[in-house]
Amino acid sequence: MLPDRKTNAALRYWAERWQGVLLSLVVVVATLWLGLSGQLGLYIHPRYFVFTMAMAVIGLVLVAAGFARRRTFEVERTGPVETTLTGVGVVLLLVMGVAMVIVPPTTLSSATATQREVNSGGLGTDDDAEQAATLIGTGDFEQLSVREWVSLLAQSSDPAFYSDKTAQVIGFVTPDAQDPENVFYVARFVVTCCAVDAQPIGVPVYLSGWQAEYEVDDWVQVTGRFDLSVSAAASDPLAITPVEILVVDQPNDPYVY
Amino acid sequence: MVLAVFVVRAMSPAFVDEQLSDFSLPDRVQDTLTLAISVIIESVPFVFLGILLSAVVQVWLPHGVLARHLPRNPILRRASISLLGMFFPVCECGNVPLARGFMVGGFTVSESITFLLAAPILNPITIITTHQAFGWDGHILVARLLGGFLIANVVGWLFSKHPNPQSLLTSRFAAACMLGSTSGHDHAHNRESRFSRTTEIFIRETSVIMPALFIGSAVAALTQVFVPRSVLLALGSNPVWSVLAMMALAFIVAVCSNVDAFFVLSFGSTFLPGGIVAFLVFGALIDVKMLALMRTTFTSRTLLQITVVVGLMSAALGLLVNYVA
Repeated sequence: MLPDRKTNAALRYWAERWQGVLLSLVVVVATLWLGLSGQLGLYIHPRYFVFTMAMAVIGLVLVAAGFARRRTFEVERTGPVETTLTGVGVVLLLVMGVAMVIVPPTTLSSATATQREVNSGGLGTDDDAEQAATLIGTGDFEQLSVREWVSLLAQSSDPAFYSDKTAQVIGFVTPDAQDPENVFYVARFVVTCCAVDAQPIGVPVYLSGWQAEYEVDDWVQVTGRFDLSVSAAASDPLAITPVEILVVDQPNDPYVY
Repeated sequence: MVLAVFVVRAMSPAFVDEQLSDFSLPDRVQDTLTLAISVIIESVPFVFLGILLSAVVQVWLPHGVLARHLPRNPILRRASISLLGMFFPVCECGNVPLARGFMVGGFTVSESITFLLAAPILNPITIITTHQAFGWDGHILVARLLGGFLIANVVGWLFSKHPNPQSLLTSRFAAACMLGSTSGHDHAHNRESRFSRTTEIFIRETSVIMPALFIGSAVAALTQVFVPRSVLLALGSNPVWSVLAMMALAFIVAVCSNVDAFFVLSFGSTFLPGGIVAFLVFGALIDVKMLALMRTTFTSRTLLQITVVVGLMSAALGLLVNYVA
């Protein structure tokens, strides 16, 4: 059903006069609220916090000016088909806008980790290797995070190197692609710009029948030593044999940078 | 109104509550939303900055001042325009409103296309981050800068041969350009304060750019959640496939050119340098989100032509790096 002339004009006016301002308002409010409640890190890298917040404040001024503007606003006249399409767009955008304001912010889940393949990218820089080497030198192996262990594992899979080192890592549970029954990863996402480029990294843990006790996406702290993986099918030659697994709260900054 | 939206946000749940987990969305839907929101929150500051600079060009600078001070020879002129990004480092999303502002302010269509394609790579932030990520290793930085410059100028030159450049634009934007070129003499407009005209530009530009950004982000997020990345990663070490796979990755990931070097660095061990260069050149100019943004201004046919030429040239550059360098 195509809109009549009056609806047509009203919709056109809405799309040109108010849609941009309202969508900007939604983004500005969401950004400021995330920034003030300390959750902006769920979406973007900390290096952008200051710029993003500053532009959100400027955006708020422009949005307020946009609402306050009283001058007559001329809009283009379009045919009913184009206006119908605009109408569909308006509804779709309203749904997205509302979702942006009311849905609670959260991290990416293991569905995305599986889809992006754990340890297929996200690491491999010299900095990571250096950092790991320094921490290894201190002898305090429990200070090493998922990131450092992953970069060590990428360099050496000799079990002798790990035999005297106890790892203690925090991350979320995501199953191994090859042997999901017996092996899971303690995983984190590495973010370089925003959540879109998040790359999952993780250290493998061997625990037969782990699903009985832990759920995918649970945050856990795993303590144990690396050994040759008992699982022949697993993606990695080594895996942690856990001494202790604690379910913990999601950390304040779930991503690593 | 502004307050009302703040109140709604404040009243809505702030965290995913375990006890309310019955109400939580399925993982994939939730991840799609998270990804889309992250692209929007990342891009909008640059869009605002682009709109403000576009308003500066249209309202605060004398009409056509920029166009007047550039060389008259078309090739030199486009070459200078491709360096304008050095002074307007607004990232690729912000470049769209800025390029629109340039066209309203007197640039030809092919000149704006040159700017749009050159500025994401030839700007100080991109150069610094690419250098930080790769240094002078494997000529990646040099190949990226030269490649970006070359592609922007070749595409600009091709479109300058078009007999009717206005037909490259959407009818709506072509009409806005006509309006802009006369508004300098419009007395009614001159009586309006500059701030008021800036506000009007903000309203008009956001009404076009924001919906495109929302849709582009949603498409980027959906592609990411539903297209397995492992398919692309398996192709890394083949000289030809690594180039094509990295271009496909760049197209769906839609990372800003300012930081894509850090992102792609993590694939450095899996992919050949030519693939990395193709990613850094093609991805900076064309991706899902950018196509949605550019569709506000250019017809689909024009975008298809731009995408094909940029794609072919990026692939050629990548292959050159793989086989020769």
